[in-house]
Amino acid sequence: MNQQFPIQNELAKKIWNHFEKELDHKIKNLPNDERYDVKLEILSHLYDSSINDEAEKEENRIINAIERLGTPEEYLTPLVSDILLNLRTKSGNPLAIAKSLSKNIQKSLVQTLTTIVFGVLYLFIIMIFIMSITHLFNPEVGLWIHHSGGISLSFETQDSSYQWLPKWFTLIGLSVSVGCYLLLNNLLYRLLKQN
Amino acid sequence: MNPNSEEIINRWMPQFRKGLLEFIILLKLQQGEIYGYELAVEIKKLTSIEVAEGTLYPLLNRLKRDRLVISEWKTAEIGTPRKYYQITEFGIETLTKMKQVWTNTHSSILNMVMQS
Repeated sequence: MNQQFPIQNELAKKIWNHFEKELDHKIKNLPNDERYDVKLEILSHLYDSSINDEAEKEENRIINAIERLGTPEEYLTPLVSDILLNLRTKSGNPLAIAKSLSKNIQKSLVQTLTTIVFGVLYLFIIMIFIMSITHLFNPEVGLWIHHSGGISLSFETQDSSYQWLPKWFTLIGLSVSVGCYLLLNNLLYRLLKQN
Repeated sequence: MNPNSEEIINRWMPQFRKGLLEFIILLKLQQGEIYGYELAVEIKKLTSIEVAEGTLYPLLNRLKRDRLVISEWKTAEIGTPRKYYQITEFGIETLTKMKQVWTNTHSSILNMVMQS
């Protein structure tokens, strides 16, 4: 395909080839005809975009054109899954349709699991926060270490166990819960942004 | 921390654009056949909508799947291949209905904006 898009500069050629390799990888699941079509169209866009760029050096024009295209996740992922879903549905092959559906279900399962995990973690943080405050009024509230080796968060004295750092529990509990809350918010924000 | 109005607009714009792009592409195609890069440039020029150019391709693919457009490979004067898109009869028919929806919605929203 390189002959169709004449690149002069060596560095520009390297950048072009790297992009082409990445493109090949992203569309590898498509049938041959579709793969060729998508690849040619994206490379054609990239070439047109680069020759119309105002940068002086060819390599910079190609880099700018790649940036303008967006991330592969933004355009190749939906394009590839749409083409595959269409082909599988068209083929009428129940196995292929089931495969597409199972992929969608997998995606939903991951989202559900993420929601559950984040929900549990938020609940846990809220519980530590409440316990840290309650500890000020009721010193029995805290982290208890059992002689058998187990650990439990409890609102009352535990048999055969001793309380872990009772004087520092409120301070540590508040710091940990606030820190974890901010960390979790950050993680959730990044996750939502990615999706 | 509550988002400021700029952040809210930044969040709202992609959704707003997403809904409009298919309509804009069909409007542009009604004026004549066009290839992907040219379409991206025209959309930027005419609407000031900043989109990642690649995102047009999943949309064009969907329009093609829905039989609203067809495509054909041609060779450009500079010798490179270009895939041209053309609106179909069915596409024009659908676009006419879209225009009607747009006109009605636009008038209603404009009324609300004028009253506010």
